[in-house]
Amino acid sequence: MDYFATVLISSLSSASILLIATLGLAVVFGLMGVINLAHGEFIMMGAYSALTATQLGIPFILAIPVAVLVTMVFGALVEIIIIRRLYGRLFDTMLATWGLSLALYQGAVLIFGSVSPGIGMPQINFNVGDYTLAAYPIFMILVAAVMLAGIYALLTRTVYGMKARAAIQVPDMARAIGIDSARTNTLTFAIGCGLAGFAGAILLPIVPATPSMGFAFVIKAFLTVVIAGPVTLAGSALAAIGVGTGASVVASFMTSVAGDLFFFILTVVLLRLYPLGVSAKWRIKL
Amino acid sequence: MFKVSDATGGYGKTVIIHDVSLNVWEGEIVALLGRNGVGKSTLMKYMTAIIPAKKGKVEIAGRPAPNTTFGRARVGLGYVPQGRFVFPRMSVIENIAVAAATNGKNATMAVEEALEEFPLLRPKATALAGGLSGGQQQVLALARALAADPCILLLDEPTEGVQPSIIDEIAGTLLRINKERGISMLVAEQDLDFCLSIAERAYVMERGTIRLETDRESLRKDKALQQELLGV
Repeated sequence: MDYFATVLISSLSSASILLIATLGLAVVFGLMGVINLAHGEFIMMGAYSALTATQLGIPFILAIPVAVLVTMVFGALVEIIIIRRLYGRLFDTMLATWGLSLALYQGAVLIFGSVSPGIGMPQINFNVGDYTLAAYPIFMILVAAVMLAGIYALLTRTVYGMKARAAIQVPDMARAIGIDSARTNTLTFAIGCGLAGFAGAILLPIVPATPSMGFAFVIKAFLTVVIAGPVTLAGSALAAIGVGTGASVVASFMTSVAGDLFFFILTVVLLRLYPLGVSAKWRIKL
Repeated sequence: MFKVSDATGGYGKTVIIHDVSLNVWEGEIVALLGRNGVGKSTLMKYMTAIIPAKKGKVEIAGRPAPNTTFGRARVGLGYVPQGRFVFPRMSVIENIAVAAATNGKNATMAVEEALEEFPLLRPKATALAGGLSGGQQQVLALARALAADPCILLLDEPTEGVQPSIIDEIAGTLLRINKERGISMLVAEQDLDFCLSIAERAYVMERGTIRLETDRESLRKDKALQQELLGV
């Protein structure tokens, strides 16, 4: 019983980690429709930014906003230089962002080398019956929930959020009521990148910064957003928690390979049942 | 008040409208008539700068209009496009609120005013705009444009695909808004009766140019002209 409880809690925690890594992509791909294959590298950039900041003596908790700022600024530049010219051109966007992904990966290898030190997890543990769990990964459940609620509030309760959705849904009409769609889209893309940076930074104690860390996240993040469908935020949350928890439970009873296998098989099944995503018929905003 | 001179433009290299000049005086409702494909919608997109200008000028309230679509919206050019284009995954309230807030107005008050003005939107206030009927979307597109507090409103085929009872309601509302708020309007239409019921003056388009300018009475009497230009 205790064992089952610990498995459930730690599986929920890995699902939350998946959700944290996915939410930036939910904004950039789910909401804006930009297939950003460099999303994983934005997570990596966030991780290295936070790592570098802590090495410079900044406390970890303050290194996180630094990472968000760095990835947001870089994301804004990428949108202005590359993405803006390619809206609605799916394959061109994929090619361009794939190139960006390779360049960032190699850039990280050149600057940081292919292995780097972790920063160590805060050593706080708690017990479930006879089992001991590290607190930090469990804390990620709370982080994912707050992050989700925060993005939802930003996009539905603020004027910026309404403008952002209007500019994405019908760009010409958004301009015709006075919204500078181009600038709004730059900001939205930058926020998506900043969320990736936040993910890289907050997960740093669990997932050490390496140049290739992006690859580990990006495939599952994309699948999660695809399973989610048009109601991006709620759909991604459900998909990450459903599929992510399931895969993690399977992984803890069998092997991690079996967990991944379960993840991909479940994705295939869900997409057969809901070709447009699980949220295709939901009548809610996000 | 609103003036277009020598408007020439189109899509890519294809020029669709040639040297179109027209004006709308303060507080006036003017119709833009013509059959399908004569360039009415293209002219409206030219006026809103949604398509680039090859030649010509647009003046709003006596000043040269800004070059961008959002710049023109901010100096008071309202636009209700053909096909409505409401923001489908935003609620009715949000569609109105975003237009008001973008133009520095109090969104809550603007929404309340709009629901007052268009009672048929009230029961749908929290529904997603994409799920509304054609007529409801048309009314919402109008409410959205009005929430931005325009001084000149461009309406592109506001009766298309709208049930007759709502068409009458739209005509009544446009007249009332014109009278109460003094908003000038340019209405592109194929529905002659609708135009005759609201507009004092009309321009008739043919093959991308203005064929003639006429007033309500002469157009009403001249059945031959109606037949020739509009096919009615």
